[in-house]
Amino acid sequence: MSNKTILIVDDDPDVRLGLNIRLKANHYNVIFAADGMASLAEARKHMPDLIILDLGLPAGDGFSVMERLKANDTLALIPVIVMSARDPSANRERALKAGAKAFLQKPVDNAKLLAVIRKALGEKDLTPHLVHDLGEV
Amino acid sequence: MNEKTVRVLLVEDNPGDARLMRIFLAEAGSSAMELKHFACMSDAVNHLQRGGVDVVLLDLGLPDAQGLGGLRQMHSIAPGVPLVVLTGLDDETTAAQALQEGAQDYLIKGQIESHGLLRALRYAMERQRMQVETEQIRKQQLQLKDEFLSHVSHELRSPLSAIYQFVSILVDGLAGELRPEQSEYLRITLRNVRQLESMIADLLEVTRIQAGKLNIEPQGASLRDAITDTVSMFEGSAAAKGITLSANIPADLPLAYVDPSRVRQVLINLVSNAVKFTAKGGEIKLQTRIFEEDPGLLVVEIADSGCGIKPEVSKLIFERLYQASDAGEEGRKGLGLGLYISKELVARQGGNIWVTSEPQKGSNFFFTVPIFSLASLISPILTNEVKLEDAIAVLVVEMDSQDGWLSPDLRIEMSNVARTLLQRCLLPDLDVVLPKMGPGDAQELFFAVACTNKHGAEVMSKRVREQFRRCERLQQAGLTFTVSYSFLPPISRSVNEPMGEYAENVAAGVQEHINTMMIARNVPT
Repeated sequence: MSNKTILIVDDDPDVRLGLNIRLKANHYNVIFAADGMASLAEARKHMPDLIILDLGLPAGDGFSVMERLKANDTLALIPVIVMSARDPSANRERALKAGAKAFLQKPVDNAKLLAVIRKALGEKDLTPHLVHDLGEV
Repeated sequence: MNEKTVRVLLVEDNPGDARLMRIFLAEAGSSAMELKHFACMSDAVNHLQRGGVDVVLLDLGLPDAQGLGGLRQMHSIAPGVPLVVLTGLDDETTAAQALQEGAQDYLIKGQIESHGLLRALRYAMERQRMQVETEQIRKQQLQLKDEFLSHVSHELRSPLSAIYQFVSILVDGLAGELRPEQSEYLRITLRNVRQLESMIADLLEVTRIQAGKLNIEPQGASLRDAITDTVSMFEGSAAAKGITLSANIPADLPLAYVDPSRVRQVLINLVSNAVKFTAKGGEIKLQTRIFEEDPGLLVVEIADSGCGIKPEVSKLIFERLYQASDAGEEGRKGLGLGLYISKELVARQGGNIWVTSEPQKGSNFFFTVPIFSLASLISPILTNEVKLEDAIAVLVVEMDSQDGWLSPDLRIEMSNVARTLLQRCLLPDLDVVLPKMGPGDAQELFFAVACTNKHGAEVMSKRVREQFRRCERLQQAGLTFTVSYSFLPPISRSVNEPMGEYAENVAAGVQEHINTMMIARNVPT
């Protein structure tokens, strides 16, 4: 049973609602931000255990959010999973270099999403074959 | 009209004709024409190579280039310079051929007058300019189309993602209990979402193929894993239709020279088609063996007992967007890109794909891939004049990441950069870079083989070290490189030993040498 807090950053309300239901059902606390600026404010305020970050965002895209997180000693410790519809061949490497733990391309299979979240949170993982996207060798 | 000086190159061996041309151009009152005259092809070609020619007037009856040969030669040297050919009165056939070979126009000797000549030259230049422009526009449009497709495919993913999320929430009962029917209908929706997702993936793959951005990294790899993985992947869906799915792989199957992930993609495509088009209770068999018609290739066969393919369409099915009109309800689902993608993937790995079929009895799909042979990779460097003191050196570049690998993708990308760089450091015909020789889990190892002496190997490794140190992309990724070399124990070639046998011996030596190096570094071989 986890009661860790996950910050979802996505400008699409449907994505936020869908992830909210899915993650709550898996016993996570969920908080939201709809743009880059708000995501930093929420991260400072709540110090979540994990951030799920979209790339195309108003008021500071995903990359600039990661840059700002990195620049802050405390916020830099929060693991980030990038979840975007963008082309992985053009964005995966860049996202990982910017400090993301994983790049997931939408649509993301639920089982895989949960496995990647557990791995990023350092929780026990029963489905290792689903997490090769986590990018840790 | 543009009055910039037009530089005309006249190639004409008949002094009388040449003089006439000069007079015609002068008569036309055009000081804007500057004429250079040569009586033979070789001088004219020299002049053309130096540049500064706007249009060529070429006689087709030159002493050192009869007929269309001269035209072809000039066209290949300066494809952007328009050509107007001069022919005799009775030679309209040659003139027509000249147009097909790329001449812009022809003038018949004896029928030329000054204004006509001037006009022909100007028109030739204008037509050439328009052709170049049209070609540029065509290329731009193609690129726009690719960008558009790529953009659209990615945009489609966002709403698809939302549909998947909410349907799966309903299916999993996160929004309340469902009646069995509701559950069933939602599962159908989910299946169609997955189908749409794979169509989008295919669409993107095709844009990559057409933009030449398909990444293929061949290595010595066994087809066994790819085949057994594919079979187990489709076991469920085959069993659901009561189809027997089996694979027969000989124990002594040689390694193939392929990109394993790309072969897997082809197999998945072919087996998924076979499952789709085979009726309940049917059979699908996978086989692989050395190709009967070419011992340098392996052939993979996927035989099904499905609806079969009519002979007249058996070639068409590999074309882009082809869909069988009578494929039945299942066959119509899809974009018709799978076989096209498979054909491209196979072709780019040096193989071929085809089908034989009997309608209503079933289809046999075949594709070939090259057999991995170290000997044939190495033999080009052995055929050169080998000096007595020379021996076979193996150069090894070890790539290490200072802070662990960020991601498998980054690692593959950096390996490609490193391999390309190594390739560029070496001399073609004298040295050869080997494909990936092991799993390389701890670090990536790159090998090159050279036929050289101690001094040559020293120079070579110094050059490689320097290039890797200078490569910004690799340095920025925090990678370190160690370059070293060692010599194989001497492998002498007996007097009458055929080159092929000698190459096999050397290859075996190289393989053993590399295995020893990998064992020393704890890399499984």
